[in-house]
Amino acid sequence: MLKKKPQTKKKVQAKKKVEIKKKVVKKKETKGREEVKFIGQVTRIRQTEPATVVEWPRTITHIHTYGMLSPFFEGLKKGELRATQCLNSKCAEKRLWIPPRAHCPDCHTEMVWKTLSNPVIGKIYAFTRVVYAGTGIELSTPYWQVDVEIPGLATIPKSYLLYGEPRIGMNVKAEFRTKKPTNTVLDYYWVPYETNA
Amino acid sequence: MLSWRQAGAMRFSSNWKGGTSMITFKEGNLRIPKWNRRVFIVAGGTTAYKKYFPEYKLEELAMMAFKQMLEDNNLKMDPSEVKGLINFATYGEFADHFQDQLLCEAKIHDYLGLDPLHNLGIKTGGATGGSTILAAAMAVASGYANVALAAGWERMDEVDTRTGNFYISTAACKDFETRLGRIYSSYYAPMANRFAETFNVSEVTRAKIAVKNHLYACSSPYAQQAGKYTVEDVLNSPMSAYPLRFLECCAMSAGAACVLVCDEETAYKLTDHPCELFICGGTHTLRVADRRHMEVPLLPHETPEMYKELYAREGARYPGFESFLAARFAAWLVYRMAGIKNPLEELDLVELHDAFTISDLQTYGDIGLRPYGQEQDYIESGDAYYTNPNTGKPGKCPSNLSGGLIGTMHAVGATGIFQAAECLWQLQQKYDQFHGDPALWKKWGKEKPKDWQSLQIPATAKQALWVSHAGVGSHVTVGILKKAG
Repeated sequence: MLKKKPQTKKKVQAKKKVEIKKKVVKKKETKGREEVKFIGQVTRIRQTEPATVVEWPRTITHIHTYGMLSPFFEGLKKGELRATQCLNSKCAEKRLWIPPRAHCPDCHTEMVWKTLSNPVIGKIYAFTRVVYAGTGIELSTPYWQVDVEIPGLATIPKSYLLYGEPRIGMNVKAEFRTKKPTNTVLDYYWVPYETNA
Repeated sequence: MLSWRQAGAMRFSSNWKGGTSMITFKEGNLRIPKWNRRVFIVAGGTTAYKKYFPEYKLEELAMMAFKQMLEDNNLKMDPSEVKGLINFATYGEFADHFQDQLLCEAKIHDYLGLDPLHNLGIKTGGATGGSTILAAAMAVASGYANVALAAGWERMDEVDTRTGNFYISTAACKDFETRLGRIYSSYYAPMANRFAETFNVSEVTRAKIAVKNHLYACSSPYAQQAGKYTVEDVLNSPMSAYPLRFLECCAMSAGAACVLVCDEETAYKLTDHPCELFICGGTHTLRVADRRHMEVPLLPHETPEMYKELYAREGARYPGFESFLAARFAAWLVYRMAGIKNPLEELDLVELHDAFTISDLQTYGDIGLRPYGQEQDYIESGDAYYTNPNTGKPGKCPSNLSGGLIGTMHAVGATGIFQAAECLWQLQQKYDQFHGDPALWKKWGKEKPKDWQSLQIPATAKQALWVSHAGVGSHVTVGILKKAG
């Protein structure tokens, strides 16, 4: 069954409180009278013509929950591809969902988890070679991004090909980053799966 | 009224190979929108668009577009009097990430001197501009406002290009897609490969779209990526995500645009040449992965027989990776709302959302310029050009004479509004006024090219269409402007 896992949230909250306390102590360090101090970084001027332009650096961490989809990401670390399925007998959509959804979009029933049995063999439906990627890309470029049709699924999930060159209709096998997991969707990928046939 | 037979044509199939069970929309879901009173657009304004625009702050850019709208559209009242008619505003902005300013709407509204009138911020990704006009039109149609300002902007130059691309890629699913590319071209590129395979389309066709739109941008003082390129130049330009090259991708821009939306009585007080507005929207899954096969919703000039073979093929899906249901649905609604029976025959101009050459190409089928599967013919036939390269005569229904997103701009919140303004000026026979005046070029730090060419469509032109499009087709509006009186 689907269950939320709130543990990670607690840890983060505790960390935050400590940081706030530190800042308060710092503010009180004054000689004689209490003065407000500038505790930031000096804003660097990038250019003054045709107008003054300053730099504004940021480092941000978002605290993001996988919510009821947590079992999917936990499954990847165990080498399992898990999908959700609607078991409502009145609902026409019986196929599996990856990306999973906790609720059926058609009848709103809470879905159940099904683990696909290994080896999971899919077929490449579409692909691209990512050459120029945006900031923060975690895969070495260039790499092949692939959309893979998996039997029994309503969906065509996006992933990447670990090696080899894709073509539409090519068979591929799911593999998993179980040793050093990234705790993201990058923990599963595809490899060419060519049978003799 | 919509018959149930029509409604029944809109079905998602859950077992499409066997066709055993269907999920059917109810009639209410498919009601054709109808204004309670007629809605018009009378004026437009825009800034130029630049990759890096340190000369002006965002609110200053919005003011410049606003002033052009009030002062340079030959309205029959003084600018301050026109401003005195506005009682509501809608503002389009794609991403707070880029502006780094929450409630930017309040800042700009104040800067334009419109307090304490109410305004609403509108956000639907790349379709924000279209949605902003739709919201203003709803206010006028309902009687909430007689005159509404629809303005939009984006300032994408506060971060470097790769960071900008990362921000945009958060408009893919953050859990299942963003990490797989961190750039939007990598979400369109698989569709391009699939489209090429399914419909047997050469990359030369896509390159022709890029050549055309970069070229038309050469006539625009607002354009950011004007250029005279060849098909070879496009295909030899650096790869972003295979098969999409840099010259096939839209600009990352800073700039602003606006239009004035009003009721019929006010429209004629302000101009003898207003354009009547019809606009509808559609939505589809954020992830292309989740698009389940369904039957094609048919446009007024289409028949089920047209698609029997196309979608009976092994592995074929509609809309699949080839088409946009949101665009088709918006067109399905707006053609009925505006009484359009055959878009290619009745439209004189289209401004499409060419964020990438492939999205432009895909849209030709969605809005019925060609049947699905024959999209490339709209380009190859020459219909899409100002001057048909095959015949030397005017193209049947030219596309993106503004230069579009590839040639001119994609300051996202402004885009759908800029396109509407371009359609308006074309129908009002004001293309030269807003593109050919040397003073305009000078205003934006440019010199009017010696070989400048007018792209004004003929005075007989009556109707123009523009598409405002988000995500990989998550939100789409299709708007129609009809020359009135």
